[in-house]
Amino acid sequence: MEQDFSATFVPRQQIQITIDGKPFIIDRTRGETTTIFEAAQKCGITIPTLCHQQNEKPVGVCRLCVVDIGQRVYAASCVRHIEPGMQVKTSTDDIKSVRRTLLELLMADHPSPCARQKLSADCELERLALQAGITASPFGPRATHRGHDDSSLSIAVDHEACILCDRCIRGCNEIRHNFVLARRGKGYQAGIAFDDNLPMGTSSCVSCGECMVCCPTGALTNKVVVDTKLGEGDRVALQELQKEEVFRGVSGTFLNLNSNAVRKRTYRPGEVICKEGDYGSTAFYILQGQAEVFLSSPLAHVNTKGQNGFFTKLKSILEPGNASQTSNQPRKRYIPTDGPVDLAQDNRLALLEAGDLFGEMTCMNYYPRSATVRAKTECVVLEMLRNVLDIMRRNRSFRARIEQNYRKRALESHLRGIPIFSSVTSDFVGYLRDRVELRQYSPGQLICRQGDPSHSFFLVRIGFVKVTETHPGGDLVLAYIGRGGFFGELSLLGGGVRTANCIALDHVEAVRIPVEDFNLMLDRFPDVRRGLEAVAHERAVENRQRFAQIQSVPVDSFLAQGLMEAQSLLLLDLDKCTRCDQCVRACADAHDGVSRLIRDGLRLDHYLVATSCRQCKDPLCMVGCPVGSIRRRNSLEITIEDWCIGCGLCANNCPYGNINMQPFQVQSDDPAHPGRKIAEVKTKATACNLCPDHDEPNCVYACPHDAAHRVNPREFFADLARQTGKGIFRP
Amino acid sequence: MIIDRSHRGWFIASLILLAVGGLLYVPYAFLSTAGVGGGSVPGIIYGSVGSAMMIFAGLLGARKKYRTWRLGRATWWMRGHLWLGFLSFPFILFHAGFRLGNGPLTRVLMALFLVVFISGIVGAVLQHFMPKMMTERVSMETVFDQIDSVLDQLVTEAAQIISDIAAAVEHQIEREEAAEELLPASGRARKAGVVTAPDERVSGQITSFFQSQMKPYLLSRHTRKYFLGNPIQASTAIQQLKVLVPQSLWAKFDDLENICEEKRELERQRKLHKILHGWLLIHIPASYALIFLGVVHAVLALRY
Repeated sequence: MEQDFSATFVPRQQIQITIDGKPFIIDRTRGETTTIFEAAQKCGITIPTLCHQQNEKPVGVCRLCVVDIGQRVYAASCVRHIEPGMQVKTSTDDIKSVRRTLLELLMADHPSPCARQKLSADCELERLALQAGITASPFGPRATHRGHDDSSLSIAVDHEACILCDRCIRGCNEIRHNFVLARRGKGYQAGIAFDDNLPMGTSSCVSCGECMVCCPTGALTNKVVVDTKLGEGDRVALQELQKEEVFRGVSGTFLNLNSNAVRKRTYRPGEVICKEGDYGSTAFYILQGQAEVFLSSPLAHVNTKGQNGFFTKLKSILEPGNASQTSNQPRKRYIPTDGPVDLAQDNRLALLEAGDLFGEMTCMNYYPRSATVRAKTECVVLEMLRNVLDIMRRNRSFRARIEQNYRKRALESHLRGIPIFSSVTSDFVGYLRDRVELRQYSPGQLICRQGDPSHSFFLVRIGFVKVTETHPGGDLVLAYIGRGGFFGELSLLGGGVRTANCIALDHVEAVRIPVEDFNLMLDRFPDVRRGLEAVAHERAVENRQRFAQIQSVPVDSFLAQGLMEAQSLLLLDLDKCTRCDQCVRACADAHDGVSRLIRDGLRLDHYLVATSCRQCKDPLCMVGCPVGSIRRRNSLEITIEDWCIGCGLCANNCPYGNINMQPFQVQSDDPAHPGRKIAEVKTKATACNLCPDHDEPNCVYACPHDAAHRVNPREFFADLARQTGKGIFRP
Repeated sequence: MIIDRSHRGWFIASLILLAVGGLLYVPYAFLSTAGVGGGSVPGIIYGSVGSAMMIFAGLLGARKKYRTWRLGRATWWMRGHLWLGFLSFPFILFHAGFRLGNGPLTRVLMALFLVVFISGIVGAVLQHFMPKMMTERVSMETVFDQIDSVLDQLVTEAAQIISDIAAAVEHQIEREEAAEELLPASGRARKAGVVTAPDERVSGQITSFFQSQMKPYLLSRHTRKYFLGNPIQASTAIQQLKVLVPQSLWAKFDDLENICEEKRELERQRKLHKILHGWLLIHIPASYALIFLGVVHAVLALRY
């Protein structure tokens, strides 16, 4: 019986063509097509090209690969298929002249040397131009500019260097199937775009790096993180990185380029991985082992005892236990950290496992470390800079795992840790678990706009959100909300229209709860509704009072001193003040010996603006607190909670020097000798909180000469201007 | 404390009390058969009222010590101290029958009372006028306890300025010398007769001025012996140094002049502060002694 190989028989075809006068026979499978470019390549003949790449579908846009096949027009060799008997000329004088003109036109608009040429001297356009002997283009550059996009942490986009070859688009769509890139615009405005022409950093780009690898010029280049040192540690080989689930789908070339930004480290049990309050620029991903996360700063206010006698001396100590001055104000049950778990107030220790990522906020936003992390077992971690972290965060499978982790471990503590939501049951949190959405926002990105319809409620997981209200006179900053905070509830309670603008101050990740689930929560838990309504009422009253102020500028120097930002100034009338310091001593007496005011500062006429918290409209001190301990209650006063870790960021941020770091000594565990204690100096931040337990602050109450007053600056100086006839009034 | 319209209530109440006390004293003085004296019933009443007023006035010290206790604003206590303290004087006079004591204890008491009363008046006057004077005369005021620290900073700042000037002068000399060497011989001869650049003596002069005059002046508490304490003399001296250096360095001498001015202001502040608070060194101990002896007097008088 004759064997039937028809199923496995692959018919071959041989096509004879002539290239540059030499005959060649191209062998191919019947039914397949071979382009002139491929055929020439097989025959060892190089045809220059810019838009064609072997693993991508050819599109023939650059026209550099044109060849003469004896027809009226030259054919683009990357798209034109060979035919039997075809006569191909690849490098006649005419064709060279055409290629030269094309290169000159492209070089006219090219910012030579471009970023790729500077980085690695391998810009394909500049190489071809050099080979063609082009040193300067005879054509003028385009008049319009397409700009740069530096929003991505790992890839720099220079639209000026883009030659619209579409390689990146094909790489993103055909190879990686991410479908982020496309063309936009026409004529000189044509360019590549991410999603709906969004900046790359805010688009759905997953930072796989394929576009950058495909790009022949410096339009898409790898960003190097400068001025940050990873120090010693094991370099991670590319193969090892590629094995990790978190880097799946990332271009190997791209990973290789960024391999300097990641180190593998091994920690012994008990070894500290990072310390609270330290500034850093890296994040950690646990590959193996377990680590403990905790706060080593004692949970206490600074207490300073004054020694009795003529020569008094202040000695700072720490008293255990919290003596919050306003016990009627609800306090958080959880302390937010820069990791996948929050710390309970009564047990400030949590566990991190393999697959956990911590230090994101420090790495992305350069905030101080929010907690101390110590290896519990032998721990292998990857320490990385922000470009590698960005790659990880954009990786779909990793994102899914982070979100799942958050839903499982942190959502409940996050939500129920807020006192208003403490009555929400675990069952309901379980119901919410799969319905919430984690969203990322880039610095400056608008999360919601005042006046827009409201569809959701947000919890802040990472970063800081600036909440402002727009008024005819300008924007007023209402709050800075960090991890553990929430926003959007007022609009959902009050008619479904956003009452404020919420803008991401830095890299923000927020948990979005849809309006339907939020309303369900309010229906099921009346305590939550009551709590929120109370907050809403308080804020509305406070805002009404604030905006009823007279818009006047009483003295010219008032503006220059930055006092317009203040909502409450401590003014000392120097014509009455006998410089007895009773105000300072009263403040110290009221705050366990630590004064929160200094009787020195700016002078306006015969008033002294004492150095004491001004309760600014734009409280810059609140930005960046890694544990959310500095916050503003629903009225004016800024308060610093017990879990302040003493990093000093708020003191640095305050432009007026109104926050002081008070040092004190504590006994801490000696890491070198377990079981032993060593003396350590810790600091805590202190600032004036207007003595909220009393009608009048103690400094004002204790002044015997009626010289000290806490005033609203606009009202006070407006009245003064009316009395003295000075100043400018603005209606 | 400025005694202004806000004291009107206290003033009127004090006036009424004084009028009542005075009106009651007149018939007591004219109709008393045993004569006016501290031992009579009206005398004891006057004495008790006067003492109560003094004790209330003395409680200001306690009120100031317990600053955060909510016992009434400190301003109210101060006003009470002023007016009731003032009012205690006529009532004690009514008690004593306008006599200055009839025994050693009462004479001492009366003397102490006069000291306390007069020092209190002086203090009230000082506190009325001096704060405004300090505000006007000391524009660069700082916290009193920090004056020495600020002066140390001024010394450091002045030392840095002097060092910068000296370095700049040295640099200028080197440049001139280098430029001179490039000149032809005839050029050098023409230049020899013209003083164009500072010479080595200038930086020495400036440094010596700082070490021998300015630094000791800034650190000293007794500034009269230093001419830099006089603004005109200081300006003249600094001007004389200024003209020795290139114009580009003149701004630094202005800084030195400002530092001297700040020193003068801080010394002025120190002096005014001592005047403003110095009277308390008499008033407070005298008050304690007065109250103590007053209690002794009351016990002795009533018991014996």
